[in-house]
Amino acid sequence: MTSKKLNMKEKYSLLTRDLEWEYSYRDYEEIFKQESFEGIKITDWSKWEDPFRLTMDSYWKYQAEKEKKLYAIFDAFAQNNGQQNVTDARYVNAIKLFLTGVSPLEYQAYNGFAHTGRQFGGVGARVACQMQALDELRHVQTQIHAMSHYNKHFDGFQDFPHMHDRVWYLSVPKSFFDDARSAGPFEFMVAIGFSFEYVLTNLLFVPFMSGAAYNGDMATVTFGFSAQSDEARHMTLGLEIIKFLLEQHPDNVPIVQRWINKWLWRGYRVLTLVAMMMDYMLPNKVMSWQESFEVYFEEAATSLFKDLARYGIEMPDYAADAIAEKEHLSHQAWSIFYNYGHAAAFHTWMPTDQEMDWLSEKYPNTFDKYYRPRYEKWREMEEAGERFYNPTLPMLCQTCQIPMGFTDMENPTMTSYRQSVYDGERYNFCSNGCKDIFDYEPEKYVQAWLPVHQIYQGNCGGAEMEDVLGEYYRINLGTDNLDFHGSPDEARWNAWHNLQPAEDKLKKAS
Amino acid sequence: MSIEIKTSTLEPIRHTFEHTKRRFGDKPASRYQEASYDIAPEKNFHYRPMWQPDKLLNDSSRTAIVMEDWYAYRDPRQYYYGTYVQARAKLQEVTESNYAFFDKRGFADRMSDEVKAKIIRCLVPLRHMELGANMNNVLCCAYGTSTVLTQAFLYNGMDRLGIAQYLSRIGLLLDGNSTDGLAKAKEHWMTDSAWQGLRRYTENTLVVEDWFEVFIAQDVVLDTLIYDLMYRQFDEKITEEGGSDLAMLIEFMQEWHKDNSRWVDATLKSTVAESEHNKELIGRWVADWQEKAVADMAPLAEIAVGEEAVNASVEVLNKRLAKAGL
Amino acid sequence: MSVAAITENYTGERLDRLENFHGNQVIYIGWDQHLMFCAPVALALPPDTLFSTLLEDVLPGAFSQHPDFAAVDWDAVEWHLNGDEFKPQPGKSLIEQGVDHKSSIRFSTPGLDGIKGSGS
Repeated sequence: MTSKKLNMKEKYSLLTRDLEWEYSYRDYEEIFKQESFEGIKITDWSKWEDPFRLTMDSYWKYQAEKEKKLYAIFDAFAQNNGQQNVTDARYVNAIKLFLTGVSPLEYQAYNGFAHTGRQFGGVGARVACQMQALDELRHVQTQIHAMSHYNKHFDGFQDFPHMHDRVWYLSVPKSFFDDARSAGPFEFMVAIGFSFEYVLTNLLFVPFMSGAAYNGDMATVTFGFSAQSDEARHMTLGLEIIKFLLEQHPDNVPIVQRWINKWLWRGYRVLTLVAMMMDYMLPNKVMSWQESFEVYFEEAATSLFKDLARYGIEMPDYAADAIAEKEHLSHQAWSIFYNYGHAAAFHTWMPTDQEMDWLSEKYPNTFDKYYRPRYEKWREMEEAGERFYNPTLPMLCQTCQIPMGFTDMENPTMTSYRQSVYDGERYNFCSNGCKDIFDYEPEKYVQAWLPVHQIYQGNCGGAEMEDVLGEYYRINLGTDNLDFHGSPDEARWNAWHNLQPAEDKLKKAS
Repeated sequence: MSIEIKTSTLEPIRHTFEHTKRRFGDKPASRYQEASYDIAPEKNFHYRPMWQPDKLLNDSSRTAIVMEDWYAYRDPRQYYYGTYVQARAKLQEVTESNYAFFDKRGFADRMSDEVKAKIIRCLVPLRHMELGANMNNVLCCAYGTSTVLTQAFLYNGMDRLGIAQYLSRIGLLLDGNSTDGLAKAKEHWMTDSAWQGLRRYTENTLVVEDWFEVFIAQDVVLDTLIYDLMYRQFDEKITEEGGSDLAMLIEFMQEWHKDNSRWVDATLKSTVAESEHNKELIGRWVADWQEKAVADMAPLAEIAVGEEAVNASVEVLNKRLAKAGL
Repeated sequence: MSVAAITENYTGERLDRLENFHGNQVIYIGWDQHLMFCAPVALALPPDTLFSTLLEDVLPGAFSQHPDFAAVDWDAVEWHLNGDEFKPQPGKSLIEQGVDHKSSIRFSTPGLDGIKGSGS
């Protein structure tokens, strides 16, 4: 018997789509309860185009090979104490931020895609989500394993999941993902699959990995390369879901448009942390936040929305707001962390002269005018032994939960204030985007667990700052927080590299 | 004489993360431990889910089972993503070569038409049941509480998809890629009276709300019975009937079931051991679903193997339950 | 506005109700053109706190690290409350003059515009 040769698409379809059957003992609606409440209309799941065609056997095979290589690097990295080869111990703070702020999002993605991987009525979409769930589990686990060795030699990694659930600035990424996961399955896909994975990956994941590459962190960059091929799959899934929704029914278009508006802004606000990481936390700079924003957001999004226009989708209005902020964002963010350096689980510092010059060059319109004087003042205070810490808790935005450090772009030295009154109570925001998001679904955002209010309500371990930071956040005071300068991390680094202890230590010793 | 490559020594300041240290002591934790314990979010969820407003986003009350500590489990296989895919890749490689060998040597042609028809009627329709198993295990992954459990559910779910795909390939091998075999098998699944009970059972599991009950209905009761029936008894039977070459094609499922059972048993055992409440509840679920399953599988068992087949499988299930303390 | 959820009437718990603050209310105060303080500060105070107490006992703790603070001419200060112009009355309590829970106050100090005039 000679066998017919099936092409890949037919074969994949037989091995996946064809497994589905028409339920007759139970109703479709009983089995897929969550498919309709968002208002999305699905007329025909069979129109779903599989974004990739990977049978499980191939998946196992290829991923196993990638894992083998990756762990070979991790082992070698640990064996050789590769952490000694990064450019500078300050760099490590970037990956502390990553492990506490980003890796738990991978976990949430795992959780969220497992959820949609059960809830969608189309087997093609379900399987694609399941595979992404599995990939996201891979990401969180390999990231933990990559950082596991750093954790043995630096402070600030040791309690990352605990911190992610509690620490003030980590509520920014956490609430972002909670927001997506608490939404219905389709909104989740637009939020994460499309806006986050497709549009914003290059601004989130890539800067960390490129930072690692530029700063001698072989473990992290190898993880990055290894994850890239997964990301490509996730991006195609993100695209497919958008196309599918827009093509299924015209009524979906305005819903999707609103989701895109919302999620690009939500995502963009989370990137505030990345902006400051790029401009301030990498000893070897890859590119400035502004440059990367221009290449990966402005240009890329422009061509994307040009294509989406055919479906009747427009570039969100907030894009203009984001673009307006690009020369300020990272500096305002770093100022926030410098203000509250005593409450962060990583170290802060003032840029060196060389670094300031780089910032001036990259931000000719803003840095010297608005930020350099501030930094020079702070440095002066530092040298006088009066390192500036902000003694009072900050006001947060109800939606993005970032301290209200953003300013009015018409008048960049004025804080940007917005307010809504809902059901007799006031709510404050940092921007139009955040306010609109609240106003559209106020019943959702009134629930936000805002760290500052929680502290004032006494829900975070006590009234004393020390209780909040030490007991509740589990930040080890004097090691995890405060300035890099004078930290145990710095001392160990100097010891490994036989560097002279910093001058002030000499002074003290004399 | 010994060889010693010297490398520079740096004393670590700690051996593992704080959460693994709290659990396992201050020594290097294994990769499995670091990847599985205490990494799920636990507190301060910001918004209630639109799709289930009466629960928190992650909420252990999505099952009636109560655990003091949801991390009291341990996967005896110690699968985290890396070890999981590597273990499966290994199985897969051998399986692939078996399928290729079967194809290359034209074993399908050595089977009689009766044997082929029987495989298509009795075995290949399981691909649909495996899809149900995939959905059920993914549900447990999405709603379960601790990574130790949820990751194993996802691995199981993906494995079931893989098995469904292998079963489909068996259909294609037998019908020379004409896809008739798969069409016939689906027909059996949809209309053949031998299968209707099992299809009803499967659809019923898909609407169960309590994820632990889903685990019982699917992974404990149904899988134990069906894997024994089809991959042990039917294998023997079809070998007698001249279909011994099928063995090469279902080795994956047999090996997988052995591997998976270690985890199912451990999970069941830990849960039952936790409290009388759990034990009693699980006992009730098992009884319910077992009763259904036994009735629902009987027609297939009769045709595939014969009279005594159901009882033999039930015995296997009972042994297993006893081992778990039920 | 109601929210599309799987059940009717999705309502969220208002996490920051006044009652949750043990008798205090939260107010926010920002000092224009002094972004050395990266964001307005949040304070938990009894609603009957006098504005003068705020000025004399609270603000110095928050803002006195700034060299401009000592130079502030409090009579010339311009105030806004929740976006509107506002003339605080020192002798009155917060709540009496409309400074209610989660109100946002900002003040500017004409002539003092931060480090080297940079708005910091």
